[in-house]
Amino acid sequence: MSYYENGIPPVRDSRLKMGDSYSGSALGLVECGREGCLLQKGRGFWQANACQMALSLMMATTVENSVIVMHAPGGCGALLHSLSAQSAKGRAQRGKTPASVPWLSTNLSEADVIGGGEKKLRETIEYADREFRPEIIFVVVTCAPSIIGDDVEEVVRQARPAVSADVVSLHCPGFRSRVVASAYDTFYHGILRGLNLSPEPRADFRPPPEGCPDDGLAEKKYRYQKSRTVNVWNATSIGAADEKEVERLLTALGLKVRFFAEYSSRDELRLVAEAGLNVSMCNVHDDYMLKYLKEKYGIPYVIAGMPIGFRHTREWLLRIAGHFGLEKQAGTLADHEEGLARRAIEPFLEQVRGKSVLMCGGVVRVGSEATALSELGLNVLGIRAYHYDEGAEPVFEDVGENLPDTPVSVSNQLFEMTHQIKTLRPDLVISHNGTQGYIAKLGVPSIQLFNVDSSFFAYSGIYQILRRIVFEFKNTSYRERLSRHIKLPYRQSYFDGDAFKYIKN
Amino acid sequence: MSEFLERPRTACALAGALSAIGNLPDVIPIVHTSIGCGGNLANSVAFGSGYLGGGYCNGGQAPSTGVTETEIVFGGADRLQEQIKNTLELIDGKLYVVATGCMTEMIGDDTAGVVSEFRDEGYPILAVSTPSFKGDSYHGYDIVLDGIFNKYLPKAEDKNPKLINIFGLVPGYDPFFRGDLEEIERLLTAMGLEVNTFFTPGQTFENLASAPGAALNIVLSRVWGVELAERFEERHGTPYWVTDLPIGPDATDKLLREIAGRFGLDADNVTEKGNKEFYGYFERCADAFCDQDLKFYAITVTNSTYAIPLARFVSRELGWVHTGSFVTDKLADAQKLALQSEIPLKFATGVQEIARSINTDHPQNGAQRYFDDLSPLYIIGSTLEKRTAAARGAKHLSVSFPAYDRLITDRGYAGYRGGLHLFEDLIGQIMGVKQ
Repeated sequence: MSYYENGIPPVRDSRLKMGDSYSGSALGLVECGREGCLLQKGRGFWQANACQMALSLMMATTVENSVIVMHAPGGCGALLHSLSAQSAKGRAQRGKTPASVPWLSTNLSEADVIGGGEKKLRETIEYADREFRPEIIFVVVTCAPSIIGDDVEEVVRQARPAVSADVVSLHCPGFRSRVVASAYDTFYHGILRGLNLSPEPRADFRPPPEGCPDDGLAEKKYRYQKSRTVNVWNATSIGAADEKEVERLLTALGLKVRFFAEYSSRDELRLVAEAGLNVSMCNVHDDYMLKYLKEKYGIPYVIAGMPIGFRHTREWLLRIAGHFGLEKQAGTLADHEEGLARRAIEPFLEQVRGKSVLMCGGVVRVGSEATALSELGLNVLGIRAYHYDEGAEPVFEDVGENLPDTPVSVSNQLFEMTHQIKTLRPDLVISHNGTQGYIAKLGVPSIQLFNVDSSFFAYSGIYQILRRIVFEFKNTSYRERLSRHIKLPYRQSYFDGDAFKYIKN
Repeated sequence: MSEFLERPRTACALAGALSAIGNLPDVIPIVHTSIGCGGNLANSVAFGSGYLGGGYCNGGQAPSTGVTETEIVFGGADRLQEQIKNTLELIDGKLYVVATGCMTEMIGDDTAGVVSEFRDEGYPILAVSTPSFKGDSYHGYDIVLDGIFNKYLPKAEDKNPKLINIFGLVPGYDPFFRGDLEEIERLLTAMGLEVNTFFTPGQTFENLASAPGAALNIVLSRVWGVELAERFEERHGTPYWVTDLPIGPDATDKLLREIAGRFGLDADNVTEKGNKEFYGYFERCADAFCDQDLKFYAITVTNSTYAIPLARFVSRELGWVHTGSFVTDKLADAQKLALQSEIPLKFATGVQEIARSINTDHPQNGAQRYFDDLSPLYIIGSTLEKRTAAARGAKHLSVSFPAYDRLITDRGYAGYRGGLHLFEDLIGQIMGVKQ
């Protein structure tokens, strides 16, 4: 039985070869991942992080007209307060109503943990439907109900006919995986099982009347349009400006572009299957979903890295174009765009050439951006990936080829990042959101690895990345002054030794 | 069975514990649970409480056992043992507090047993039990301070007759805890007293260590910190006094006089100076305040600690017409009883529930010519009330958790200066839209 038929999705740890603790080189990492030695690694000291629930919520809060039901004790939903503001902004940027997402918690008590919370969940789902009249109710299942064995799938199955909303369950107990990226699979599993992803007659199209003479022309037109429609899969780190840039380029190739699944409504998601190709923008985001759509609807897919920097963008475009036999056009487009962008970045290159940089964050982004910036003359001192799985293999084979001597680690741990910044002394850190304050306190210039308010992808993206680096260098007084007043919690002896001393094999 | 909640304005016991620990000087948390709890819960106040942020060693720096399926099946004691050992090696602190989460409590890890081994070896460490299903953030505050003061710190040999500990303001879940504590400290110090507030940047570990020797514990909440103070009295013999957080001159005068009386001191110098300063500024605004008709009906939506003080301030000092106070904490009946005063309170948490209650009690004008509606209206609540207020055309200011539409540093609403700040912020929301 395939994963897709199970009520509860697999964690990525059981689906792919992966890990979150490594220090070595890019090719060493690829090999360690393949051989499975990465699976054996861990740490003797850990710092707190996020979990797959956090990322599942980030994605779920973007879906239009939805309500979130946390099947959890009272604390699990607390970060939704600030997520809600983020998704409201994301909607506004895409021309949608910036409504905040209502959410409820089954607020499991000690008695519920002993006696089970299924009845309460059913009541909460019904209340959510009655009170908010949403299109989708996301039931988010966290650690406590997963351990006590609440049969959430049965509750959801029984609730479905009784409520007007579609009910989507997201099983994301944090203890089942230390890797946040597992949430992508969780989210897509919920979507593909809980929602109808193909159009419904009369709601989405008008079926031809019976006995209507059909010369087949309408059918041919429909098939052609569908074959030229491309679904591009966004997620969390990919902002509206990046979508716009990608849409601009693919439209220039004569393709019709739609973005899923974030910031989509139930009605939009029902049209997912009406496409000729699914396109990923990141190797570790959506293979689970794209493989499902291929299996179920026969839609082919392209997973070809992340379109960051000139070379990766060209490759990404050519792979998509290849599906349509448009390689020549894509090559011409890339030549033209690259020419314009290279002229535009000229004034920045002088100012960033030779600057040393440490990259920290999502595995595909750090690898792709490291090689992209290296090709523009920056000196990549080190790459820190938050996790690694086999989806990222092509990216790190490429890193290994182009930056064979650059230290590569798999680490989302702040103490290791602090050590590397203090000992490598980079001119610049490019790092994941959530770490910027810590880097500022070390007095080192930094920019965001991603930020949904800015642009990172393709041609306007590389221009904006360089512009932000130059902007950061224009004044670093804030962090220099701040760092003089900060006491770090780590003992000095740690910085005298190996940054990765707590990694266990 | 507890009820489900819509958008609870608190998190779990672990969250409250981590927020308290993270704001105590040189105290290091060790989070014994899966890896996400520490980060997620810290973020809820780091971004949800006026952008309180992380601190010396909380949030993403907090040591955590990060238990996974293996520990759920085989037990997490070994992982905890290893994590504590390496935390002591790597992290520089004066006290380490192991706080548990749901899953390690559910599988029955002997956390206290593992911690006591380190304790026996002389390390400054204690364990607290803070699973979400046992209580919310306010309970977590109580649990962690109970652990530090009533279990960890030795009994006081000598009392310092001038020393006062302040309890009741819960870091993060009282977004102005620092500014409020600093104003109380400023005023009491001016009266010749010594004050431990624990959670402000000026405090050190010495303030924690000296706490058992205090002559009085003041609890600035009728509900939170009260049990802690009771047990403190049992252990250290320090009496406690439960009162309301004083906002503005009237409430502050009364508080200072009461304390002065208890310590045989004279409050007049401090109250006179406080009033002179307050009215020196306040009277200057009378022109704008009155000429621009800045008198409002006021509804408050806050936790139990702020409800009564806020209602009194807007009624007494601003002369606004107070028309309702919603208390958003989940309280037991005895706690609700403790909140009885001349201010009638309603107990509700859900945004929808509160909005519906306001709209039912005070219908809006359906285009009648003669209609006495509730306008002009000011809703003083959390950021969640922003939409409720907008839908009624009411003014709005966030003063309670979650407050993510403003940034808070040393601002507080307690005392004389706090009263001015609150006035400034309330009217600032009206002036801020002018162009």
